[in-house]
Amino acid sequence: MRLIIRDDKATASQYIADYIISRIKSFAPTPEKPFVLGLPTGSSPEGIYKNLVAAHKNGDTSFKNVVTFNMDEYVGIAREHPESYHSFMYKHFFSHVDVDPANINILNGNAPDLEEECIAYEEKIKRAGGIELFLGGIGPDGHIAFNEPGSSLRSRTRVKTLAYDTIIANSRFFGNDLNKVPKMALTVGVQTVMDAREVLIIITGAHKALALQKCIEGGISHMWTLSALQMHPHAMIVVDEDATLELQVKTVKYFKSIEQVANSQGFGQALESPELVLKKRDSVLEKLDSPKSPTASKAFLAPPKPSLVRQITPELVPDSMHERTPDTPTMGLDGLEAKDVPIQAMHERVNTAPAA
Amino acid sequence: MPTALSPERPRTGVTRLTGGRLVKGDRLVEEDLWISSVTGRILRSQEVFYEHFVIPDETIDLKNKILCPGFIDVQFNGAFGFDFSTVPEDLTDYQKGLKRFNRHLVRTGVTSYLPTLPSQNADVYHKVLRYLAPSGGSRNALEGSESLGAHCEGPFISPTKNGIHSLEVLQEAPNGFADLETCYGAGNLNHPAEESRSPVTMITAAPEIHGISTCIPEVTKRGIRFAIGHTEASYEEASEAIHLGATMITHLFNAMRPLHHRNPGIFGVLGKAEGRERPYFGVISDGIHLHPTTVKIAWNAHPEGFILVTDAQYTAGLPDGVYPWTNNDRWVKKGHLLTREGSDTIAGSSATLIECVSNFWAWSHASIPEVIRAVTATPAEMLGLKGVKGTLDADADADLVVLDAVEDAEGNRTLKVEQVWKFGMLVSDAADESFGL
Repeated sequence: MRLIIRDDKATASQYIADYIISRIKSFAPTPEKPFVLGLPTGSSPEGIYKNLVAAHKNGDTSFKNVVTFNMDEYVGIAREHPESYHSFMYKHFFSHVDVDPANINILNGNAPDLEEECIAYEEKIKRAGGIELFLGGIGPDGHIAFNEPGSSLRSRTRVKTLAYDTIIANSRFFGNDLNKVPKMALTVGVQTVMDAREVLIIITGAHKALALQKCIEGGISHMWTLSALQMHPHAMIVVDEDATLELQVKTVKYFKSIEQVANSQGFGQALESPELVLKKRDSVLEKLDSPKSPTASKAFLAPPKPSLVRQITPELVPDSMHERTPDTPTMGLDGLEAKDVPIQAMHERVNTAPAA
Repeated sequence: MPTALSPERPRTGVTRLTGGRLVKGDRLVEEDLWISSVTGRILRSQEVFYEHFVIPDETIDLKNKILCPGFIDVQFNGAFGFDFSTVPEDLTDYQKGLKRFNRHLVRTGVTSYLPTLPSQNADVYHKVLRYLAPSGGSRNALEGSESLGAHCEGPFISPTKNGIHSLEVLQEAPNGFADLETCYGAGNLNHPAEESRSPVTMITAAPEIHGISTCIPEVTKRGIRFAIGHTEASYEEASEAIHLGATMITHLFNAMRPLHHRNPGIFGVLGKAEGRERPYFGVISDGIHLHPTTVKIAWNAHPEGFILVTDAQYTAGLPDGVYPWTNNDRWVKKGHLLTREGSDTIAGSSATLIECVSNFWAWSHASIPEVIRAVTATPAEMLGLKGVKGTLDADADADLVVLDAVEDAEGNRTLKVEQVWKFGMLVSDAADESFGL
């Protein structure tokens, strides 16, 4: 796992936005090979979207060939409701960038058959070739998407009842009226997130410090669903200083030193594209499969020199007579020496006069 | 295999206007506006995006300019040499002139208006009113500015507050509404049961004229607005007219008794406490009809009812000189000042609505949304067109104006029309003079 610590929320958001842009750039998506991006909603990602939009407006990045999958959506509130995640995504991201609406996937909380909607969503992810990069945030109780404490770490996209804490936390968006807050949501499962090739999480603020501590210093537990990330081969968590309040100094120092050393060695945190990794693997396999032979570079592995034997007295070889006459130049033959016959292709020597 | 859609998609007639400051309610908000040239309306962009996967054909960056609804002028007698009340020999000339006029007018940012006829003989009304009926039915942007129906200013007005209206044609209505029908033509006034909109949208009359006050309920019953104007009415008479259904005051302060502290006159009704008792009112802020501070007092008295009008005559946009008018009158035009020949009587203005808007912004401490409201949302509300015209809310007509608001170092403020959109189509662009209708 990579843990990137930045001074504040703004720089953490900027780091993530830059990371996503460089990932998309190096991926070089095309209509046939789109970049599949998993997206969250919430207050933490808002800053990331702001930076992505700014980068798009500057012409730094395009989302034309990006396919998106959102994490979750409430059940039973209208799509145009200002608190729906459709509205959030439209307002903060989709309406400002060039993403194709046909490439956007958000769970439909008003689907006639919610279970069917969830199954279809998993299938859509599979057909899109799996998620290349899943961006996420967490709740103060360590939940990722709406996978509340106690959710199976092997869960898939499904209907989920929201925890009481979450309902209270959300009530501020619904006029502080608990009755208006949706009680259910559709959400991708923990395993759906874990299946992504890379997972990128933003955690900011002191109120999430305990969750961060539980997720990276504690053991894997379904009570802190993000802790499943410990099993992910390519996970990165970007946090601000406040979020590290509960961590051990040792942990913070370790992760900071990792980043420093990596930088001093000239390599960043970026995950290489699958093609590059596959290529490397192929060349490794090729090497492994080729017949083994000792390398001759080391001096002590060279064949031993012949052992010393007595020198044989050389035989006398008489030289020929003409070699003893002085070497005088031949006169009058300058320019007459035979020159090298120019090499010509055979066909050039064939008479190519056109037939009359 | 995963596929993203190819960039070639069928055109949808959808335009996205981005990077502008939108006048919404009393705020300037930075958001995108999606409009359709097919429906001619403002789209519910989020719905269109998610439901129909629509990508705009074109995205236009407004570069921080002001985007507001198209202007509505409810008192407008003509301009660019075309006069609504001058009837030519051949009425097809009138039609042609009107068409040309509409295309010309739209470039000034006025996307809809009430063609206004000052007091005339009955035969003028009978001849021309049908051409001045609401013209937006075809929703064709290429027709230019849209008539919302005629405004008949007179002839049931006070002979002592006639302004430049010819005294000979003024009338009373001893037979009540029947006299109005005879004058304007019964076919030009809606039948109460009919849904369709009649050619006449608004009538200005003086409530103290014999027979008029009984007509007010008859007029409003037909969906026609009744405006008080050119009148000697007292505060009490005006209050009574409002009680009977009058909802508008025609060019407040002009052609009526002034405010006196013991006899507040028509202006006094703006001081009433209850909202429904306070009418809408037109104000001519051309710098000639009213002193700037008078305009500000009127606005402060009742900002929700404040409507800027030009009262422009056909000489607007023409060079200075002497011009003929109906009923053998002649006018002298000197800059924005237009008077009846041989007198100091103001004969309407030669200003454009954007000049009046710009003046009001320069004179008042009103914010841009408050200024814009006076030529968009408020007149639309007055005409019963709330949500259709004068707003940038979804489903309203996509009649739009892009404004450049300049405030220089000395605090001088000017508003300039940069672009005009009618029914979702760009019809004028200041950056490209050759473009447009």
